[in-house]
Amino acid sequence: MNSAVLKKTMYWFVVPALLMYLVFWIYPILKLFQYSFSDYNGFIQDFNYIGFDNFSQIFKDGVAATALSNTLIYTLVFVVFSNLIALGLAFLLNMKIRATGLYRTAAYVPTLFSAIVVGFIWSYVYMPDSGLIATILSWFGYDGANLNLLGNYDSALYAITSVDIWKHIGTSTVIFLAGLQTVPVDLEEAGKIDGANAWKITRFIRLPLLATSITINLTLSLINGLKAFDYSFIMTNGGPGRATSTLLFEIFRMAFREQQYGKASALAVVSFALIIVLTSYFVLKMNKREVSA
Amino acid sequence: MVKTKKKMTKVIAGVTVLATSVALLSGCGSSDNKESGKDGSKNVTLTMVVSGNKAADGQDFELDVLPKMINEKFPNIKLEVQKLPDDQYNTSIKTKLAAGEAPDFFRVWPRMGSAASIIDLSKAGYLADLTDLPFMSNITDGARTDMSNDGKVYGIAKGIDMLGTYYNKDLFAQVGVTEIPKDWESFLAASQKLKDAGITPIVMGDKDPWWIQFGAYQLAANTVYSADKDFDLKLQTGETKLTDPSWVKAISMYKELYEKGYIAKNSLGLGGPQATQMFIDGKAAMIFDGTWDYPTLTAKGAAEFERGFFPLPGNEKGQPVWQAVSTAAGWAVNAKTDHLEEVKQVLNYWFDSNSDLFKEWVKLNPSISAFNGVPLNNDLYKESYELYQSSGNSSYFANQMWPNGVADNLQVKFGEIIGGRNTTAEDVAKAMQSKFDELWKK
Repeated sequence: MNSAVLKKTMYWFVVPALLMYLVFWIYPILKLFQYSFSDYNGFIQDFNYIGFDNFSQIFKDGVAATALSNTLIYTLVFVVFSNLIALGLAFLLNMKIRATGLYRTAAYVPTLFSAIVVGFIWSYVYMPDSGLIATILSWFGYDGANLNLLGNYDSALYAITSVDIWKHIGTSTVIFLAGLQTVPVDLEEAGKIDGANAWKITRFIRLPLLATSITINLTLSLINGLKAFDYSFIMTNGGPGRATSTLLFEIFRMAFREQQYGKASALAVVSFALIIVLTSYFVLKMNKREVSA
Repeated sequence: MVKTKKKMTKVIAGVTVLATSVALLSGCGSSDNKESGKDGSKNVTLTMVVSGNKAADGQDFELDVLPKMINEKFPNIKLEVQKLPDDQYNTSIKTKLAAGEAPDFFRVWPRMGSAASIIDLSKAGYLADLTDLPFMSNITDGARTDMSNDGKVYGIAKGIDMLGTYYNKDLFAQVGVTEIPKDWESFLAASQKLKDAGITPIVMGDKDPWWIQFGAYQLAANTVYSADKDFDLKLQTGETKLTDPSWVKAISMYKELYEKGYIAKNSLGLGGPQATQMFIDGKAAMIFDGTWDYPTLTAKGAAEFERGFFPLPGNEKGQPVWQAVSTAAGWAVNAKTDHLEEVKQVLNYWFDSNSDLFKEWVKLNPSISAFNGVPLNNDLYKESYELYQSSGNSSYFANQMWPNGVADNLQVKFGEIIGGRNTTAEDVAKAMQSKFDELWKK
């Protein structure tokens, strides 16, 4: 440990940051596990321990099941579409065409806005009767007044997922684009000489070399989907009914609206376990498929 | 030599680390700055957090008028007011209280209503006892009791609020409805007439789910509380259930309005602001809302028309109509305030019926005053208010006697009905009762 470059005393400088991390991050997480076994209501400090009641209650009243299925649908749609669109966009933006810089910027701009702003704007886009989509449809003779994407049980979840996809595409595209540019030109040329057409070059040279970017993007979007909260909160309030109530939104609703802090903690513990299991499964699986140039 | 130097560095590093850590952590606490004023009294900053939306036009009482007039009267007191939308307020106030970061004054709801309620918060010891303040005897008994727990007064109500139906007199006249509906049958008939004439009879902002309560409680006043005023007390002892026929009836009557298309389609896509806009623009003939929304609903929209107000008649023909009338939300004082003296000074001035501030408050207050001898402000409510005073047929807003969360289940489940799911009125009642069983205890 006696390094000439890093003196032992230097380790002391980690302490302030570590202290903050422990007090504001690790300690609350440990508290969460404690609260999940209690009937704590969030503001009266004396509470009772009630064993696994919270856990059985969240499964019994069906709230966990609804929130879970909403979250999984959200995640699936989000992961598939945001990555497919971003991949396509990255291939397009990687072509040698005029003003690529402009298009690349345009693709990235939605990412720059905060979720609050995006959610607010899209509420107006989706508004029945006078919203952007309704207005455009009415030009073609459809009755825009009947288009109520956010107020309809069957479409609300997909409507908010689309907004998240729209916002997220920029990030994924940039990562794919960076990946594409590391694909060595000589490999592509070698492919061409061997008589491979554009599709074959993409399928057998570019995509395998993009594996690292794909892993990163899939993981990021998976985590992003599983912790979906923003748009349910801003655009639909989890509604109509519980149609857009995701795990995190349900935790928020229980803890701060219904004052069932203990029950919310139990749901948080369940989501915590779920997110860890799903993410690590995918990361491990995809790491095996990566190749290097 | 080298060794001692090394030791020195270690010590210095240790001290630095400790100092920074302490500084970082103490930065989280609040610092009070008290300076002495000219006359020797201390300069004090009081804080207030309330809920609601800023008045659309003109001066907002809490945000503009109150701080200014307090400072004019007490030059050493500065009042800082923050107004949050209801939803954000409800989700943050308890956390603030638990963390010891609560303001000196804040919004509370009577009995058990809403998230920040007199009973919940006083049980937890967060509210200062205001019983001894001199103006208390000037407040009507009902309003004082609703803001009390165990015989101690913990809050001052804004006044009395009524739920009702705001309607567009011009549109009613246009389709030939000359008399305001006095029972359920004639209410349905009037709605049908409007609908037949191509006018949206009722608009609601159900995207903000609490709007569902505005209609439901008016109907429940007629089907539930007219027959049994103590329904909720019995509910707490298990004698009655929310699944009893009377509540199911209220829910199915409300359901009927949606099924017959009297309430604007797509109301789940409209928030409160959009719904009220439709009403003042003359695009819908009625809206269920409370007296607190007077400024919004009487604001000028795209159409000029005369407004009226009547209780939603959920009664059978020949029976008297029951109204949902309740003590309004109000203000409470933080039990842990550092400036109780100044807080009391402010309250005593504010609620002294002879003070300028009191007069200004009465003028700008949309709720009906709960102070003795203050006349009704807004002519719009005259008929309903007189009916309320003469008949006494009224009940409070039902959620004031339920644990917070039961009304939430009403909203979620009834939302399914609006959204065209196959949810029945019985399902809604069942969900409410099971939430009640889960939360009422202990």
